[in-house]
Amino acid sequence: MEIQFASLDDAASRFTLSGASPAFANALRRAMIADVPTLAIEDVRIYDNTSALFDEMLAHRLGLIPITTDLTAYQSRDACSCNGAGCPACSVTFTLSAEGPKVVVSGDLIPQDPKAVPVHAAIPIVKLVKGQKLVLEAKAVVATGKEHAKWQPTLVCGYKNHPVITIGDTCDACGMCVDECPREILTVKGKKVAVAAGKLSECSLCRLCERACISTGIGEEPAIKVSAEPDRYIFVVESDGSLPVKEIIKRALKHIKGQSDELEHKIREISGDDKK
Amino acid sequence: MIPVRCFTCGKTISTAYEEFKQRQSAGEDPKKILDDLGLTRYCCRRMLLTHNEIIDELNPYQ
Repeated sequence: MEIQFASLDDAASRFTLSGASPAFANALRRAMIADVPTLAIEDVRIYDNTSALFDEMLAHRLGLIPITTDLTAYQSRDACSCNGAGCPACSVTFTLSAEGPKVVVSGDLIPQDPKAVPVHAAIPIVKLVKGQKLVLEAKAVVATGKEHAKWQPTLVCGYKNHPVITIGDTCDACGMCVDECPREILTVKGKKVAVAAGKLSECSLCRLCERACISTGIGEEPAIKVSAEPDRYIFVVESDGSLPVKEIIKRALKHIKGQSDELEHKIREISGDDKK
Repeated sequence: MIPVRCFTCGKTISTAYEEFKQRQSAGEDPKKILDDLGLTRYCCRRMLLTHNEIIDELNPYQ
């Protein structure tokens, strides 16, 4: 199994995973979405709220704010020694007090730990007019996307099979498929159609080019054929900013490994075969 | 208030709203503003395009 990065920065990544089964590719996708823990506001204690929004509406908006998470300093709530009660090892407290007229933003939240701050400081929470007041205390906890989507570290996280486009000898460079392709990946090169340089990975396997080819009256079989490589996948992963993409991929792979080790151990236990 | 995140993909779009509103009222083409703000997916774009701000109508009532 091999991973090859086409692009990688803190916010987004595109990579090719080759030599993996469809089950593994999907396991990786699911682990990145639902099994990598992050911080998100879970409990809100509201002392004063005379704004136009209801308390629960405010709590919901606060919950959706992505928070920079350092997973070496925090651990998941379920795995924590406090048994999910909430201690400094798995939660952070924020305080907020504001008086109108002003737009309360995420940057107004004062964190207990200066490293666990909202990713963006300019997220509007509520607009206050003169005389309105907001005082609250919010507790962010570390949990996974399995529980609620606010703990997902990823935005876009998906994969597709690597496309293979083969152009047969019957191609007469009529250009019908070139016009039909919605991603504009085909060009006419000499007396044949060819894939534009570096554009192959953008193919969405829609097969509109095959249909266009047949509609020219070429016969039963189209000259252009689109298929998918069965064990090669193009992944696109985007982070909400709480964790860098590299960390998300690493944690997801570690999670899969941990789970499979556990399964192996359990099977050994059941079968009574303790040999390692 | 503008939703914090895009309903579909979860991208934080609320940070872009203030600039979008200002530039749109200045008469700029929404397509260009959204491209500048880095909102490439149509799910995120519709969040800003179709938002109707009603907080000022609610504010007189506590």
